[in-house]
Amino acid sequence: MVDSLFPSTEATVDDASPESRRKRRRISETAKETAESSEINQESLKRWRTNRVQQIYASKLVEALRRVRQRSNDGGKITSAAREIRDTADRVLAASARGTTRWSRAVLATRVRASLKKHKKAKLTGARKPRKDTAAERKRSKLPAVERKLKILGRLVPGCRKVTVPNLLDEATDYIAALEMQVRAMESLAELLAAAAPRSTLTRP
Amino acid sequence: MLESLVSLESMSLSSMDVSVLERLKWLQQQQQQVLSTTNASPELLQFHGTNNDELLQNTFSHFQMLGSGFGPNYSMGFGPSHEAMDGCISRTNSCQMDQADTVGVMLKNSEENITISLKNKRKSEVKTREEEKTEKKIKVEAETESNMKVKSNLSNTEASSETSKQKSKAASETQKLDYIHVRARRGQATDRHSLAERARREKISKKMKYLQDLVPGCNKVTGRAGMLDEIINYVQSLQRQVEFLSMKLAVLNPELELAMEDLSVKQFQAYFTNLPVVVASKPSLMVDAPLFPLDQQGSLDLSVINPNQATTIEAPSASWETQSQSLYNTSSLGFQY
Repeated sequence: MVDSLFPSTEATVDDASPESRRKRRRISETAKETAESSEINQESLKRWRTNRVQQIYASKLVEALRRVRQRSNDGGKITSAAREIRDTADRVLAASARGTTRWSRAVLATRVRASLKKHKKAKLTGARKPRKDTAAERKRSKLPAVERKLKILGRLVPGCRKVTVPNLLDEATDYIAALEMQVRAMESLAELLAAAAPRSTLTRP
Repeated sequence: MLESLVSLESMSLSSMDVSVLERLKWLQQQQQQVLSTTNASPELLQFHGTNNDELLQNTFSHFQMLGSGFGPNYSMGFGPSHEAMDGCISRTNSCQMDQADTVGVMLKNSEENITISLKNKRKSEVKTREEEKTEKKIKVEAETESNMKVKSNLSNTEASSETSKQKSKAASETQKLDYIHVRARRGQATDRHSLAERARREKISKKMKYLQDLVPGCNKVTGRAGMLDEIINYVQSLQRQVEFLSMKLAVLNPELELAMEDLSVKQFQAYFTNLPVVVASKPSLMVDAPLFPLDQQGSLDLSVINPNQATTIEAPSASWETQSQSLYNTSSLGFQY
């Protein structure tokens, strides 16, 4: 698949117009991709570490958390609230990415899908099939170990399952930087809240 | 020299470029002669004092004539323009002593122009030449940019404008055909597929390097598989951390509205002094989950359960202390930007 991105120059002159147009489109795409990817790599490290981004994310996070519906305040239902908060935090993170990365767009898009609950049904039906073949699949696909790991990485980064290797690496870079920022923000927020309201927690023996 | 150039004009279009090179070499020789003699004879000074625009037009018309093969004008036009170019160069000689650079630069550019135009016009004939020495398109453009900068620095406006026009022509031609040139290293295959593969591999390794810088602990592992393992583990641990923190915030959320006024200011201050969280705290996080709103109790349990763990554990335990010094304690750990 990647080899098709590099055009064969002998053929460009002789081909009919649609093929040459396709190749020119691919060329322009690769040119854009190379420009974008180099930008993404260098930018992503600095982008998620600027004070401004952190401020924006923190303020948005606080706002979003305030609006989170609390279906059950007490009781053993922390997990559902936790899941909501995690989704909210992820959405806010994706929103502050400004739509430049693939994973951010996927995170914002899955919000609609998850609410319809079709996602869960699809997971259940899809999970049954590959279980029978896993033994055979493992024997077959054990050779390219790097490729297997790239697939796993693609599953971890949201929205990057069928993405080319260089793009996957770019998305992973940005995603890791963003996750780091998210963890830092949530930790500091949790610290502050714990410090600001110690009354309820200190009563424990 | 004149006769040889006149004979060249009978050849096809590529002769234009070849003769340019020869002409420039001739000019360089001339320039050296001028350098050896005393500077700036008064005639030359007068000459280029008046003829700045004419110089430009002469050289342009000259290039056009070369292409069309205009016989008598060619030999005629070459005479005065000789002196014109000569005067031009000697003028810069009197102003600054850097002509060797300009001519060398011009030579290099002309060579590039030659290779580019040859590639554009005669692919089949020049294929062998291409295979010997191909250059990156980006490199060429960068070089042309830098060369233009060099020229502007030397304030050699006439030469720069003419070669820049030529270069823009050549560059536009290359852009139309859109090669991706890769320089072939010594002793390596130069066929198209291996070049493309090598470029692809270089891209991927560059991106892996970025990831390596980002993920802590990736330096120790060599090879792509190990690095990918580390990256996967890191992403998974970050996601798990987010989950635990969201659980924590779920408990603390009702207090959010109570403490909202001071929160924004303090939060940002604390946030900026807060350094990146340590990743190796996985086991500590697993321990902390049941002990959920923790503070001192949590940190005590940590110390009991995991006394022999590395200092990395101190980060989360310190962060869960309510003392303000915890913020400064985290800075003792080595993880920084």
